[in-house]
Amino acid sequence: MRKKSILALVLAGCLAGLSLTGCSSKENSSDVGNDSSNTPEGKTKLKAIIVKHSLTKDVTQMKWLAEIEEKANVEIEWQQISADWDQKKSALFASGEIPDLLFNATSNSDFVQFNGLFEDLGPLIEKDAPNIQKMFSEHPELKTLATQIDGKLYGTPRYKGIWPGSTASMFINKTWLDNLGLQVPTTWDELETVLLAFRDGDPNQNGDKTDEIPMDFNPLGWDFTPKLLLGSLGLPLSNGASDGYFTEGAQVKNFYVDERFKTLMQFLQKLYSQNLISKEVVTQDYSKYQSVARGNGTTAKVGFTWGWETGDRFGNELKDQYVTLPQLKQHADSTDELYWSNDYYYQNYGSNAVSVSARSKNKEAAMRFIDGFYEPVVSLQVLFGGMNDTDKGIKDNGDGTYAILPPADASLDPGSWKWTNSFADNGPMYIADTLKDKVTLGSDMQNVLKEKAVYDELLNKADEKSNVYPQNFMKYSTEDTNTLAMNQANVNNITDQKWANWLTTKVDIEKEWAAYVASVNSSGLEQNLQIRQKAYDEYLSTLK
Amino acid sequence: MKPAQTTVPHQTLRGNGWLRKHAGHYQLWLMVLPAVIYIAIFCYGPMYGIQLAFREFNFSKGLTGGEWAGLKYFEQYFNSPMFWPTLRNTFIIAFFSILLGFPMPILLALVVNSIRSNRRKRILQTTVYMPYFISTVVLVALLQIMLSPTTGLIDGFLKALHLIPADTNLIGDPGAFVPVYVISAIWQACGWNSIIFIAALSSVDAQQYDAARIDGANRWQTVWHVEIPAILPTIIILLIMNMGSILSVGFEKTFLMQNSLNKPVSEVISTYVFNVGVKSNQFSFGSAVGLFNTLINFTFLMLANALAKKTSKISLM
Repeated sequence: MRKKSILALVLAGCLAGLSLTGCSSKENSSDVGNDSSNTPEGKTKLKAIIVKHSLTKDVTQMKWLAEIEEKANVEIEWQQISADWDQKKSALFASGEIPDLLFNATSNSDFVQFNGLFEDLGPLIEKDAPNIQKMFSEHPELKTLATQIDGKLYGTPRYKGIWPGSTASMFINKTWLDNLGLQVPTTWDELETVLLAFRDGDPNQNGDKTDEIPMDFNPLGWDFTPKLLLGSLGLPLSNGASDGYFTEGAQVKNFYVDERFKTLMQFLQKLYSQNLISKEVVTQDYSKYQSVARGNGTTAKVGFTWGWETGDRFGNELKDQYVTLPQLKQHADSTDELYWSNDYYYQNYGSNAVSVSARSKNKEAAMRFIDGFYEPVVSLQVLFGGMNDTDKGIKDNGDGTYAILPPADASLDPGSWKWTNSFADNGPMYIADTLKDKVTLGSDMQNVLKEKAVYDELLNKADEKSNVYPQNFMKYSTEDTNTLAMNQANVNNITDQKWANWLTTKVDIEKEWAAYVASVNSSGLEQNLQIRQKAYDEYLSTLK
Repeated sequence: MKPAQTTVPHQTLRGNGWLRKHAGHYQLWLMVLPAVIYIAIFCYGPMYGIQLAFREFNFSKGLTGGEWAGLKYFEQYFNSPMFWPTLRNTFIIAFFSILLGFPMPILLALVVNSIRSNRRKRILQTTVYMPYFISTVVLVALLQIMLSPTTGLIDGFLKALHLIPADTNLIGDPGAFVPVYVISAIWQACGWNSIIFIAALSSVDAQQYDAARIDGANRWQTVWHVEIPAILPTIIILLIMNMGSILSVGFEKTFLMQNSLNKPVSEVISTYVFNVGVKSNQFSFGSAVGLFNTLINFTFLMLANALAKKTSKISLM
């Protein structure tokens, strides 16, 4: 009797525990993916997750979004995420219980790893999405971008077309140059002379000769870094060159093991050893990098650096002191072909804006809702904010033209306003080419295009078929995806520490180079290059 | 339903020695039951997941559905160029954390215990254990600010006193990573960890102090002959338990403090598992490396336990 009651207690405890630990996944799944209940007004209820920028306000307060929901006759319950998605998503996806719609939350490798979790949108688009069909017929390359190696389409792409072809610009403080009576540098050698003058003089004329930072940049793998100077040596970077990959003469290569990278590191090491580069260049985070360049109010602190746009990089007070610097030659008599990173695809094309759960019971309604974003004028609002009195993002001029409004919140710059007020670049969108000329852009974007014009000539030179490498367009099998990921982690471990070490110490790079290249290659780079070459060749064959 | 005492009828339990011995204390077993259930569900239950380390992870078939891969992922780790660096870094950080971090709370407890005024004792104790509640993210942000080579308070102070060379970057220098890691950990956890020793010290019989004083012992001799022996069992048990986690070097703090410059010493097993296993979706590989880590921890725990048992007859098992 006693034994039995204890046993019963144990069992009861176990059962209680089990129900708490979520072993009962079958019960849960019904209310996550398969909720087919409708609202009293007859709208379809859907759950959605959105990975948004940390500035972006609560999306349920965006009127333009409510209008899309209204039109598609759906009611969305939003889950909004703005940090650490990379860590959270593995757990969420592995549980198999995902919401109906996933905005900006998936990547190609997820489709490979979590095969069966996401819906193939191809048939749904053919049936229910006239806007997306129109987008695909006008830009077939977007369909290529979105189609995976198995011929299925798990995420809809995005297209802007109005963004510039380069991510980073090179800036130099013209006021400082004038104060010291110097010319704008055109070669690495002249740049060094200028930086030395920045260090020794008092170019910001505040009486303190030690507060100037001649040169500052982001950690090397990021966007705003001296890797752009590789273009001085005839190395054609493109589309962000993430993890160092680029193509030259239709060959996939990696700049971390390229002789020209060695030359660049030797130059940077020389600058660093002369105290010309910020001491915190490796360890500072992006916010510190930004705040340092904004100086103290009206006194500039940084002489030469990289960034997106002067207003964004130096703030309204200081932006007029800086000018965009065209690509430098290495020496006055160098004959290397000059390049600037061609980031047109990287800036204007995006993949996986929205995915749909394969378990969703309302895929038609979900697709109706997604298609709403791709109506060109709606897409404009996705990017810049609503065309109404609540959102105050865009003005409809009434004659088929539109103007992007300045921030309604005077304390924000136009860029921050855009990211606060709308999905911005993270949203699903299709800005039709016919619409492009009818939009008056905000002051920040006008400025961006104006500033980056100095690189136009170099960008146009990049050959689509041999020197441009849009990594987004490449597709890999499950096995290749896994191999690439494993190898890359090992390769990054070496390259990441090596460049930082070379920069900040006085070791002889020439002497270490061969051993370094050998170790990177044997850590998996060679294998990765082969896999990437195969995918790149396939991509080239799709180009007309 | 008369409550059973130790007078259990022989015939029902004949031949069952274990049950006969323990049936009498069923109240104790009932009390420990919630803990047993908790451990069974949350600690032993999830262990079925370790088979992932021996399988090809296949999402559609679940954690346990993939094809058997044998020791493939272990071999992959042992052959990977990151095997020795991660193992070495983990050991170094763990070793110095225990070597310097373990005695500090004991010293602190002895100091606190020797303070006569209760008010001062309370103030000191509260002050030193408060940092324990600072989250790791905030702590690392604090370190970044205080140790910044241009504007850092601590950095500037050390340089002004010529304790470190003027061109040192405390948050980037590979040589500074371990000291910064260990010292900040001591600052943060020392007060909190000393609580258990203070509690042990408070149980020392006042007569022993009196006897020591009559025998003419000075303060140091009292510490050495009365207080240390009194807390020795606590010290040994805690040391054994710490040995068990020797390689579980805190992921959060290491990851947050990591940058390109200090990566040669800051890439430890747990950050490597994260970088490869979680961020690149290589779940099977990550599990294998994690399991390897646990095996080493287990070995250390058993070694320390056996050693303590042999030398001082104090042990966990």
